Order: sequence, then structure tokens, then C-alpha cells
Amino acid sequence: MTVTSFLIFLPAILIGSLLIHLIWPERSALALFLKFSLGIGAGLGISSILFFLSLLIAPGRVNMMAVQLALLVVFIAIVILRERGQAWYRFKSPTLSRLQWGLIGAVLLALVFAILASVNIYNSRPQGAFDAWSIWNRAARFIYRDPQNWRATTSPDLYWGTHADYPLLVPLNVAWGWETLGTETQRVPFAQGLLFTLASFGVMFASVGLTRTSGQASLATFVLICTPFFFETGIGQISDIPVTYFIFAACALIYLYFQLDYAPILMIAGFMAGLSGWSKNEGLLMVAVSVVVLAVTSRKKMFKPFLWYLVGLAIPMAVIVYFKIAFAPPSDLFAGSSHDTLTKIVDFSRYWIILKSLGQETLTFGGWPFSILIGLAVYAVVMYTNIPSDSRMRFFVLAAIILLQLLGYCAIYVITPHDLEWHIGTSLSRLVLQLYPAGVFLLFSSILEPEKIFAQKA
Amino acid sequence: MRLNLKKIFLALLVLAGFFSVVQSWLSTLNLNQGGAAIDAWEARLMPAKKALPIKRGVIGYVGEWDAPGISYAYWDQESEYLLAQYSLAPLILKKGAVEEWNVAVLSEPAFAAWQKANQGKFEIIPLKHNVYLFHRLANP
Repeated sequence: MTVTSFLIFLPAILIGSLLIHLIWPERSALALFLKFSLGIGAGLGISSILFFLSLLIAPGRVNMMAVQLALLVVFIAIVILRERGQAWYRFKSPTLSRLQWGLIGAVLLALVFAILASVNIYNSRPQGAFDAWSIWNRAARFIYRDPQNWRATTSPDLYWGTHADYPLLVPLNVAWGWETLGTETQRVPFAQGLLFTLASFGVMFASVGLTRTSGQASLATFVLICTPFFFETGIGQISDIPVTYFIFAACALIYLYFQLDYAPILMIAGFMAGLSGWSKNEGLLMVAVSVVVLAVTSRKKMFKPFLWYLVGLAIPMAVIVYFKIAFAPPSDLFAGSSHDTLTKIVDFSRYWIILKSLGQETLTFGGWPFSILIGLAVYAVVMYTNIPSDSRMRFFVLAAIILLQLLGYCAIYVITPHDLEWHIGTSLSRLVLQLYPAGVFLLFSSILEPEKIFAQKA
Repeated sequence: MRLNLKKIFLALLVLAGFFSVVQSWLSTLNLNQGGAAIDAWEARLMPAKKALPIKRGVIGYVGEWDAPGISYAYWDQESEYLLAQYSLAPLILKKGAVEEWNVAVLSEPAFAAWQKANQGKFEIIPLKHNVYLFHRLANP
């Protein structure tokens, strides 16, 4: 059952990977690995949208596996037709130095420990974290157990703590996974969570590898794998790692666009940003922030690439907007009156509480034996190298997205109708986590690589 | 000197990473079976699910917070309510005995207090392990 719980997602992953390959036909080993890692998220996003559409058209039991296999055959045929006569003979496996092999070995060893820890946590609590059963798998049960009446999962009669307004990417995949296997096994949400976690490691390795070196890619991935809070959240069967993955994937692709100057990459970035909004409401903030930052940037000779980004956003955003308008009850975060909201905005003690909590989170985030955020800041100072002038634009665009996203989270805390300290206590670490891989990516894309450190002579 | 400092920092990062991930793995070796409590809760509510004549729609949920004069731990009650919602999906659970059919999870004193306050309003169907079904007899 464990293996089949992973295998059921394979057609979706292949569909996602092939779609990305059709948009971005680069054939280097790292690009192919990046496209496979992106294909995991894109495929799971596509499968959830397909299931959502099928439930809209004909509510009831759907053989999603057959739908996906049919779509996969179509994609394989298109790719084969397009790849005929292409220069695959240019494909070369990369040549690595001993240092690079050593760092890749460290990544693999760390990965073994992370996976072993994940399996132990799953065995101890197969139902996942508190939010897994109270929100995400609760929604999946509504859809799987009564697909004809699946809209009940968004009923305004549901208690606010079940968050009936949350988007459905994760629960829809769990529901069709159960339908495919014919049983409500916890291994399906576990498999989905682990896939998103591993895909995040893959995107980190391949994207830093493309922007810098294999050694730097290994270090960045190593840092992410060795952050216990990251993989513990990943197997918790909640949507925080999917939204983290999509935010990170969109950020890495935006950065890659500026480096490679290939506009269709922005279409994939837009699709990923849109799927972040289909995973969790925080993703909608990512959509808004990224559009604003790219719109401002687009005033300087990148209007057409910006349109590519909007094209990528279009399908997931259409689904989200329809879901929010037609089904989702109002969010608990905006339940206060405008007078209450204004009172909170001018209450400066709230800002102080938020700042203090952010400071504390900086010290404790991630589960390392020391503050990894401060540790990485010190590491960045020691490894500082001048950012070349042609790299500054992408650095500042990504830094602006991350910073604005963080400010957006803080703004929500300012106006939250819930008890502020309770709200911060139950969510801040996960919000920081959502920006952590993008931050690690930006850092390791901007500092001195290990290859250069060991190549220089004292 | 500066180059050595960089090498030392790189080595420290790798060592600290291994320490972090190995420590994390070690801490998971003897985890308690937290999931067993959720399984037990689901099993406890299964007879109620089977006994309910409706399989979709809205039912009420009665917890200790509905029993007058009974002290309770708010977060325990909140968790039990969410667990009941998870267990009984796709039924929708509203707080209180507000629907025709209501599921109750009450300790003996809480049940006695609740029954005293709602005499004659509900048909009470006792199940095992302090779980009850309350069927509204007439609109209050």
C-alpha cells in the first residue's frame, strides 16, 4: 500500500514534467532535473484542478487515474513529435570534482536521516499534525465519502476552526488518491506531503545549480534538508509545505528568467504562483506581491515577459476566483468590522508584539541547535562577494518579493480578529517557513561558492 | 587567514547540519503513539455514526461546554469537537443541541447537568463510552 500510495501520483508528475518540458525545452542534466522537480508540483496542481472541474461538471465518483493516463498519453505523443530530430546527443552528464562529490554525498546522507525521521514521525502519528485532520483531511473526507455532495466541505455551517474557505489542492488530491486505491489510507496524504518535501529539495538543488555551481547547490539543499521543522511539517499532511514549495518554485523561476532571459520560464513561474494560491490562502498574497513587483519591473523593458507571467497565472487564478466566489464561505480573518480593523491599525502595541515575536522566531526557527537564520546571516557576511551588475536586478526582484510577502503576513497579524498572541503563536513559525526556501535560494545564489573557496590559495 | 576563515565556516555549517538532522532523527526513535488517541476517538464515535438516520447534512454537537455548571478545559473541548467533526464527516457538526439530531460526548456529571436543563425536549439514545444521541422531540 505504501508504494502504491506514491505510484498513483506518477502519471500526474509525468504530465507536469512533460508540460514544463514543452514550455521550456532546455536539455541539460540540471534543467531536466529541475523540470522533474517542478513537474511534481505542477502535476499535482493539474490533477487537483482536473478533479475539481470534473466535480463541478458531474458531481460523483470519477476515475481520475483513467483521466490522467489518457492525458499522459496525449502529452507523451506531443513530446515525442516535438523531440524528433532534436539534438539529444549534446546531452552530457556533468563532470564533478572531489569536493562536489563530497558535498553531494553529504546531501544524500542528510536525506537518509531526514527520511528515517519522517517515517518514525508518520508511524507515531499517521493522521498527521493537528491541522491535517481538523482542516485538510477533514475536507478530503467530505469529498471522498460523499462526492455527489462535495460542496458540503465549504458549507458556512462548518465551524470556523475547520477553515471551510481554504483552497482545495491538497484535499482534492487526497480524495482522488483514496478513490483510486479504494480505501481511506493515511499513506496517501503522507505520500503527497513527502513528494512536495522531496520536490522542494530537488528544486533547490537544480535551481542553485543552474544559477551557480553544483557545490553551492549541494550546500543550499543540505541546509534545507537539515532543517528539521521543514521535513516535519512536510510529513504533517498539511498544506504549508505545498504552499512553501509553490512560492519557492515561482521565486526560483523568476530569478532564472532574469538569468537566462527566456520569457516562457515566467509562464511556468506564474503557473506555480497561481498554484500557491490554490494550496493555501497565503499563496494569494504571493500572487498579488509577485504581480506588483513584476509590474513595477516591467516598466523597464520587460512588458512582454510580464504578460507570459500573467498567462501562467490565468488557469489557477480562474479556478481560485470561481472557488472563492461560488463556494468558499468568508474567511475568519476578515470577520471584523471596518471600525475594529481601523482601531487595530492605529494600535501600535500590536506592531510591537509582532516585531518582538519575529525577533523571537529568528532565534528559534527551524529546529537547529542554534539560530539558523542568524547563522546563515553570519555565513553570508563571511562568504560575501560582490554581486555582479547584471545579477543585481534578479537579486532585488526576489528580495522585494520575499520582503513584501513577509510584510503582508505582518499586516494580516495587525488586523486579525483573533487574539493576536494566540494567532502568532499558532502560525508564525509556519509563515517564516513559507519564505525560508526562497530565502535560502537567494542567499546561496548570491554568495561565494565552495569551489572558489577551495580553489583560491591562501 | 580570511580564506581559512571561510573554510572553517563552511565546515562548521556542514557539521552543524549533520548534528541537526541526526539529533532530529534520534528524537523520533521513541516517539509515543500519538495517533492511537485519534483512532480511539474515531472508534468511540463510530456507533453514533451508524445509529444516526441521516448520512449528510447538519447535526448538533453537545460537549461539556453545553452542560450548565460543569467546569471544562476549553482547548480539550475544542479539540474533541474538531475530532468529532473529522470522525463524522461528511456530516456537518454545529455547536450545541441545535438540530433535530445531535451527538453528545459528556462525562456522567455533565450528562446529568445537561439532562436536568433539557428535560422533555429530547429523546436520549445512550451509546457506549459516554456518547449519546439526542433526538429533538419538539421545537423549544
